[in-house]
Amino acid sequence: MSYSDKVLDHYSNPRNVGSMDKSSQDVGTGLVGAPECGDVMKLQIKVNPQTSVIEDAKFKTFGCGSAIASSSLATEWVKGKTVEEALQIKNTEIVKELSLPPVKIHCSVLAEDAIRAAIHDWKKKNGVEAKAPATAEAHQ
Amino acid sequence: MPGEATSTCWSCGTMRAVHFCSACGKVQPPVPADYFTFFALPRKLSLDTALLEREFYVLSRKLHPDVYAQSQPQEQEWSMEQSSLLNDAYRTLKDPIKRTEYLLRLEGVELEEQSKTATEKARATGEVKKQVVPPDLLEEVFELNMQLEELRMQKKMGEDDPALVEELRKHKSNLEEKYEALLAELKGHWNQWDKLVDSGSEDDRIKVRNQMLDLLNRRNYIRNLVRDVNEALEN
Repeated sequence: MSYSDKVLDHYSNPRNVGSMDKSSQDVGTGLVGAPECGDVMKLQIKVNPQTSVIEDAKFKTFGCGSAIASSSLATEWVKGKTVEEALQIKNTEIVKELSLPPVKIHCSVLAEDAIRAAIHDWKKKNGVEAKAPATAEAHQ
Repeated sequence: MPGEATSTCWSCGTMRAVHFCSACGKVQPPVPADYFTFFALPRKLSLDTALLEREFYVLSRKLHPDVYAQSQPQEQEWSMEQSSLLNDAYRTLKDPIKRTEYLLRLEGVELEEQSKTATEKARATGEVKKQVVPPDLLEEVFELNMQLEELRMQKKMGEDDPALVEELRKHKSNLEEKYEALLAELKGHWNQWDKLVDSGSEDDRIKVRNQMLDLLNRRNYIRNLVRDVNEALEN
């Protein structure tokens, strides 16, 4: 399988690799994984408490090129957005931007999950209202 | 019931069983059937593999294309198709993990599709998606990957860090223990499932099905991790 130019670009030159202090009040951390391929993805955001704007984002992904590119792109896209805006990012947009083939769609789903998990973590830390977890939804 | 006559024999017209006509004994064209049905088994997970093996050898001899060397071309073709189905079915059912994975697929588990749907639901409702991999295992996977990266880096630089290697070895043996324990746990779920096949509600079956899926997911994760540790230690 060959990667698209954009995947290769993110893969060989990933944006925003790194980590932030997990315990910091304005940092939200999302850690997600795909059991099919064994990928694991960590995405962190730093949110301005006054404006709810995501001022910085970092990621570290262990996985295939598509998973790395998806999370790299995700950090680029969330930066400068408010958390509510970032929650609207769709995996299909990541697929389109990176021209991911069908077998790699789960990488984009993982990246969306990572964004949502990071935002959820930040909201929980800061007492921002979030709905109760929908348990077992992942299997229904 | 699987194995019962489902249609008539192409040759003598008698109602036939799955592989051979019950009256004239002629080989039959393969019918679309799952592997359990192919062996006339219920969709249960506790399986007498010795019995399965015997059945496999019996069918294997009877369906072997050599037996049909003098038969009509159509029969030769059917015996080939049936033989190949037989091999696939046997290979899948004799292995405990493949058997469970196969059953879960039959029972409508589509991992990627379900994960995508759950993500879309989370986006639409603002609810939190439940991850299929438990957080503590994810942490462990992440940390171990960080250590592996460090080890690869050190090796590249020609450095040696016996403490890190020792730590990874310990970690690996812990994972291997977990891996074995998960198989034992999975087998416990087989019994629950098998009981529910005969008498159980759809909801109960889905519950056990999803528990088995969780276990398999965790097991796959650990398997990949052990493989990566081995690679990093050997290279």
